[in-house]
Amino acid sequence: MIAARGLSIRTGAGHAAVRSADLAIRPGERLGVVGESGSGKTLLALAMIGMVPEGLQVSGEIAVGGTVVAPGDEAAWQRLRAREVAMIFQEPMSALNPLARVGDTIAEPLMVHRGLTRSAARAQARELLEETGIPQPERRLDQYPHELSGGQRQRVLIALALACDPALLIADEPTTALDAAVALRITDLLVRLARERRMALLFISHDLAAVARTTEAMLVMYGGDIVERGATDRVLADPAHPYTKGLIAARPSLAQRGRRRLPTIPGTVPPLEALAEGCRFAGRCPVELPRCVHLRPAATATASGSAACHLLGAAP
Amino acid sequence: MRVPFNLALGAALVALVLAVALVSLVWTPHPHAALDVANKFAPPSAVHWLGTDQLGRDLVSQLMVAARNSMAVAVLAVGIGCALGTGLGLLAAARGGWTEEAIMRLSDLGFAFPALLFAIMLAAVFGPSLPNVVIAIAFINIPTFARVSRAAANQVWRRDYVWAARAAGMGRFAISRDHILPNIAAPVIVQMTIEFAVAILVEAALSYLGLGAQPPNPSWGRMLSEAQTLMYLAPQLAIWPGLCIVTAVLGFSLLGDGLRDITDPRLTRVRAA
Amino acid sequence: MTLLQVDSVSRRYRLPRRALMRPAPVLTAVDGVSFTLARGETLGVVGESGSGKSTLARLVMGFERPDAGRVLFDGQDNNDLPPAALRAARRRFQMVFQDPFGSLDPRRRVGWSVAEPLRALKGTEDPAPRVAEALEQVGLRAAHAGRYPHEFSGGQRQRIAIARAIITRPALLVADEAVSALDVSVQAQILNLLMDLQEELGLAILFISHDLAVVASTCDRLLVMQGGRVLEAGETGAVLDAPGHDYTRTLLAAARL
Repeated sequence: MIAARGLSIRTGAGHAAVRSADLAIRPGERLGVVGESGSGKTLLALAMIGMVPEGLQVSGEIAVGGTVVAPGDEAAWQRLRAREVAMIFQEPMSALNPLARVGDTIAEPLMVHRGLTRSAARAQARELLEETGIPQPERRLDQYPHELSGGQRQRVLIALALACDPALLIADEPTTALDAAVALRITDLLVRLARERRMALLFISHDLAAVARTTEAMLVMYGGDIVERGATDRVLADPAHPYTKGLIAARPSLAQRGRRRLPTIPGTVPPLEALAEGCRFAGRCPVELPRCVHLRPAATATASGSAACHLLGAAP
Repeated sequence: MRVPFNLALGAALVALVLAVALVSLVWTPHPHAALDVANKFAPPSAVHWLGTDQLGRDLVSQLMVAARNSMAVAVLAVGIGCALGTGLGLLAAARGGWTEEAIMRLSDLGFAFPALLFAIMLAAVFGPSLPNVVIAIAFINIPTFARVSRAAANQVWRRDYVWAARAAGMGRFAISRDHILPNIAAPVIVQMTIEFAVAILVEAALSYLGLGAQPPNPSWGRMLSEAQTLMYLAPQLAIWPGLCIVTAVLGFSLLGDGLRDITDPRLTRVRAA
Repeated sequence: MTLLQVDSVSRRYRLPRRALMRPAPVLTAVDGVSFTLARGETLGVVGESGSGKSTLARLVMGFERPDAGRVLFDGQDNNDLPPAALRAARRRFQMVFQDPFGSLDPRRRVGWSVAEPLRALKGTEDPAPRVAEALEQVGLRAAHAGRYPHEFSGGQRQRIAIARAIITRPALLVADEAVSALDVSVQAQILNLLMDLQEELGLAILFISHDLAVVASTCDRLLVMQGGRVLEAGETGAVLDAPGHDYTRTLLAAARL
């Protein structure tokens, strides 16, 4: 079980980029985080692996397994990274060393963290590549990243992340840079791996369709707040928070054909310093109440999970 | 943003040298070429701050005028080299194809040509003089700037705003002027700063060899060579011009490094997501 | 009435030589593609990286010459025009690019960038009122002309790019992944803006995207491309309800919520 409690991330100027977020993932669970740019979803993911960029202040606590880690305890995080928590990124090319053979890249953590010999590590690397479904795994070991396609590179990164058998895999927009057909296969792979290994998956994406087919539960973030959470299919079918509703409605869907105006959320995501102190969505919300601007709504139970919105609170 | 240390120190040293060179235009403690043989090898005093040389000339005045010569040579030579080289680089990037090939192969040829050898050749044909030094240094700067500007320009040509300008119907010349040049200014200016340092060094070397400034026009390089035979008698005559060269070269090198640090996007920190 | 006719165009690229004695390999980026686009109509081109859709956009824009086939705009083949005449003809077909952060020169004020197509025409009229009009048509304010691109959000920058594209009152707009880099909530605004402008100005739009859902909700007809070829083409509804190809079905699966 991996959990964050009261996790907040502030910029140097003191603006909150993530506001007291709580989340918990059980072994084998697939949790999606949906949000637009500036929602704080990537920072939340980075905090879960102790890699928030310098200059930002993280507070709150993160529990990995039974142990509680302070967000800034770099020594503790170094012990946990790769072995307990691993991460894959959006751009598979820049995440791989272009001068290292794929096999060596994957074998290195096996030798460092698990003390395998060179030949044992290579054999293990081959098995990991095979598990990711990459064609001709044996041949890939001696290839360089530029010789692989985008989807193959993402599979190599997944194999690398799996090397030390982590309890949680964080995937930050892993399919955004990939073509649709390849993206479908990568999300299928992530689902299969989570099931087979009883590995928790934290899947960060702006793409509702990718989250829908990859995850069982989801969080919706806006302006650094988790505004809604619940079972993925039920949240998508019956969103409760005005932002979630707007986001789903604004998404072009296959059902609308030929030059239909889409419902929109007015305005644009404001910069951090311009966000309201209360509900972050205040100012763009179509059903705003006077208290929304200065009073932060608490999470309230909904049919599909919970949402933080004053409209859902004690009805007048 | 905090100013990096190398940038601050470099800018300070360059400002010092430039200020001295500019002041020498209107004022020096003594006329720099005034002989006073009776007063040769004078130690530092209130009249002659750093003393006098083997002919009784005031050392400070000579160093100041030499700074002016050095700066003038560097600015002119690098300026000319930069203008011609950047022009060629822009042309190469704009035209592509065989024009680009030709310009780049010619610049390879230029790189293969040692600056000193070229300056010696010029001096042999036209006689040694500062203008010939300027021509020689300008010439060796052309391929450097052609290469830097072409590489930077080729990157800018791939930007969407350049495609947009083409879609708008702008010609290659107008695009080079409106979009390419302003957007390659940063690397070109960084290169200029570094080339200033090189130019100062080359000018000193050429003058040391007697191919640059001719007497009585002072130059740090020639002052060094004249002081060489007097090293044991009057080491200060070699030390001061040497220090001047070090200050100027170090100043421009640090300034160039510092400017590169703050303008190179690969080195600037990524904004937090 | 047909505005744009693309007549079995092909475009091949010579790749870098792999071996000295063997001929350089050739990539056929666009392979015998044909379609027509009428005034005021929207045609979607769906495909992935390497499908040839961006090369097709460049061929239509006259940035590249086809190796075979013709691109006729108002019955005129742009590749027959001398360069100066082609540059003047460009005011009738304009383009919007994918990356709103890359398509505006960071060193130029917004008004300068929006006026660029007018300057290219070397007209003598003052561009300021036209710039103001174009900015207001895309939902911005005339006063924004004096600002720099970095002062705007991604969606606003895409509006600026659209203002630049419509300032010459073109007949055709080529939108190459014009909403792909935008957040969902902003994407919808820009799509609506494009549809509004289309009705207001009678624009034909060649809408290029990798996202079938985006194309489905904006285009009258669509073209599915893969490997430089057209896999299938037809009315949007017909293609979506009865996809004739596995690849189209994969794209449908990827876009389904």
